[in-house]
Amino acid sequence: MHSIAPAPGSTTMELALKIWRYNAETGEKELRRYEVEAPDWATLLDVLDIVKDKQDGTLAYRKSCRMMICGSCGMRMDGAAVLACKTRMWDIAQSGHEPVISPMGNLPVIKDLVVDMSPFWGKIRAVKPWLDPGYDEVAEKERIVSQQQMNVIHKEALCIMCGCCVSECNSMESDPDFLGPAALAKGFRFVGDARDQTSPERLSDLNSEHGIWDCTRCYFCNERCPKGVDPRDAIAKLGAESIKEGIDHDMGAKHAKWFVTSAKTTGWLRETELVPKTQGIVSAIKQTKFALGLARRGKVPPPVPPHVADRVSESRALYNLVKEQGRDGALGIVQGEHALGRIEFTEESGVRELAPEIQPGVEPPHAEG
Amino acid sequence: MEAKHDVLVIGAGCAGMRAAIEAHDAGADVALLSKIHPVRSHSGAAEGGINAALGNASDDSPEEHAFDTVKGSDYLGDQDAIQILCDEAPGDVYELENWGAVFSRTEDGRIAQRPFGAAGEPRTAYAADITGHVLVHVLYEQVMKRSIPTYEEYFAWRLVMNDERCQGVIAWDLLNGGLKSIGAKTVILATGGAGRLYVGTTNAYACTGDGMAMALHVGVPLKDMEMMQFHPTTLAPTGVLITEGCRGEGAYLLNSDNDRFLKRYAPNAMELASRDVISRAEQTEIDEGRGVQGNVLLDLRHLGADRILERLHGTRELSMTFAGVDPIYEPIPVRPGAHYHMGGVDTDVWGQTSVTGLYAAGECACVSVHGANRLGGNALMETITFGKRAGRHAADWAMSHTTVEVPRSIETDAERDLKQLLDRSDGERPWSIRDELATTMHENFGVFRREEQMQRQAEIVARLRERYERVVVDDKGDVFNSDLTQALELGFLLELADCMIVSGIARKESRGAHARPDDFPDRDDENFMKHTIARLDDGRPQLEWRDVTMTKWQPQERKY
Repeated sequence: MHSIAPAPGSTTMELALKIWRYNAETGEKELRRYEVEAPDWATLLDVLDIVKDKQDGTLAYRKSCRMMICGSCGMRMDGAAVLACKTRMWDIAQSGHEPVISPMGNLPVIKDLVVDMSPFWGKIRAVKPWLDPGYDEVAEKERIVSQQQMNVIHKEALCIMCGCCVSECNSMESDPDFLGPAALAKGFRFVGDARDQTSPERLSDLNSEHGIWDCTRCYFCNERCPKGVDPRDAIAKLGAESIKEGIDHDMGAKHAKWFVTSAKTTGWLRETELVPKTQGIVSAIKQTKFALGLARRGKVPPPVPPHVADRVSESRALYNLVKEQGRDGALGIVQGEHALGRIEFTEESGVRELAPEIQPGVEPPHAEG
Repeated sequence: MEAKHDVLVIGAGCAGMRAAIEAHDAGADVALLSKIHPVRSHSGAAEGGINAALGNASDDSPEEHAFDTVKGSDYLGDQDAIQILCDEAPGDVYELENWGAVFSRTEDGRIAQRPFGAAGEPRTAYAADITGHVLVHVLYEQVMKRSIPTYEEYFAWRLVMNDERCQGVIAWDLLNGGLKSIGAKTVILATGGAGRLYVGTTNAYACTGDGMAMALHVGVPLKDMEMMQFHPTTLAPTGVLITEGCRGEGAYLLNSDNDRFLKRYAPNAMELASRDVISRAEQTEIDEGRGVQGNVLLDLRHLGADRILERLHGTRELSMTFAGVDPIYEPIPVRPGAHYHMGGVDTDVWGQTSVTGLYAAGECACVSVHGANRLGGNALMETITFGKRAGRHAADWAMSHTTVEVPRSIETDAERDLKQLLDRSDGERPWSIRDELATTMHENFGVFRREEQMQRQAEIVARLRERYERVVVDDKGDVFNSDLTQALELGFLLELADCMIVSGIARKESRGAHARPDDFPDRDDENFMKHTIARLDDGRPQLEWRDVTMTKWQPQERKY
């Protein structure tokens, strides 16, 4: 859900902000403070424009549509990625807070707030980002695809490639080669497209090193995406689809699979078996001493007798239900769900769920932006 | 010369990318060049849809599409070009679907189509309310698939004329600095519109008419430049677009008396009359005191939360962010804003201009299929159909001709002129000229035009052009010098304003977007069923007239 910004009026506001300036020609970095007077409706982008016009023409940032669709103006405000054109400044000005504006993270800085997007696009290209319908000739008519099928990739299709998710990606910070949230969401846009004929190959590629299982699930990408794409959910859907398709050679996939097996059979997580099932026997043997230490302190239950939950039948029933409904792949992933403020996915049967329930005449649920 | 190609496409929105794909598939060595990354192009902000007589929602035909377009153009559109657009549209849309465009679907899984203004049938194929976004991305996917080289963040500044034909472009490299010349056997301009001439506009900051101005400089005329469309539903204060799709889905327009005022202006079509008609109606309501703080109200509430969330979620996001209004619960305040230039670079139906080797397509071109008023959904269609045609023709021509040369003298001239601008340290910053231009154009050359206001605006623009001679660029550096490119853009805008005003004053009638309520309230087919053709003579626009091409539709009175 988006918070509702105040309606534009006719007053002005005064605010100060600090901008990280970077001069590529000299390598100098400096946090510079600016004071501006702006109309009450001004966004961060409008404020930057005022600075550039009237105070310092050398300030560099990208902009174009100023309506949250071109994806040019991703940057950080107080350390978190935002689209400058979407960020209304009224509340900040009223609070007296002086925000710090800096370029996006995980991408090399070119000048001031302008980053080099070529690593970003390189990763997008790495996921073969075009539909492969399995034939070359264009058909004379459209393919018949239901709206329900198209809805599967609705959120991923909203992506404007602004880079805010990549900026915030903790995994990419430690592994610059990690494909990252934007490219993986783009990957799911094709895996989930009923018209694409290469999903198994795509999934196999995305299961490689630096692929889906390298995501640390910090959810920063979902939090900071200005369009509700929820890239982490796309990554989860890719994981679920991979396992459904039997693509489980990665340690991450084995780890996830064992969680399911474990919960299905005993209703608990069988930690002692987790390491051999995930990392293999050799690795497990190497960690025996550590495991015994954990067991001694009661951190893991002893492997025998099997630790079975009282009402394990319920856990098994849940497993069966998911299977029966065909929700053991991407269909089962309904986390985050920022887009449209509701659960977007529809079942095969066409039953749609709205969450939260919105009814005309009833006050909208208040959410934070 | 940095590099050379068979075909160089300037601008990488829908028209540019579609042209490049076609030229590539025809076997040409093609490159794209754009001042912003292709997916940042303003085609992506198109919301409502793309018109093609697919017949998925009703019985429809290219013939009906053509008639609606001719009538919508107020009989200023060239009927042969319109016929081509409407005949080729369905195949071109199927092609986009085949490439993966995420269109909304009908119950039986076909491409969904919605009603749009002044269309006799529900003909507008759509992807919720982000159709342009979906098309830009699917085209860029196809550009990546073909590995079409792209000069990203290159600001095209001057066309290269050599041996009586266009042989490339001189561009400022934003990331690294410096003028670079790229040679090409054919150049396609696909640089979009010039909405930044107005303070309230749906257009991006990038829409500064660069291609139109560059063409004008090499002797190519601009056609119908007075025809600037005002979109009826834009958000205060800056003009962010609220899609016509809202009204296509059934939204009402209300005045301060809660009255669906269009019953007095377009009793049959109501909210689905053509854009010029509705913008005038809104402006009249506002001027006569029945507005709501300078706006009228777009009411979606009766559509219900479900429909709004499914088909108009982008609209909801925009209203909530920029107007503080959730359309599920409250009407959206809207008003007319500059939206689309029907006029532009004069081309034939293959995108050819009067200069050999130079083509134009999309909003920067004027074929003309929109005449005096464009129908919603026809712009995206034009970018695809005429982008494709220009790409095909430019490739064929390039592959049958061999030489490309950028004379050194042209490069040194450009370098000298640019240095002169960069060296100037005493004078005026561009923003005050830019803001005054945009404010006065809105006041004096807006929804309604009046002789004395247009004359006044001509004087204002002349003065602004003088001031522009002393404009100062703060940033003298090479890396991402957007201060420089924004100053160059302002120069382009000022020249286009001149052409618009000269054309507007000369058109002594009311037709489509050009409404003169005081002195010439009616259409005058006898004298003005003609295109204005403006070309530069000693730096000043000179006007000629050219008859509209008619095939089978005789002009009729236009009522909705």
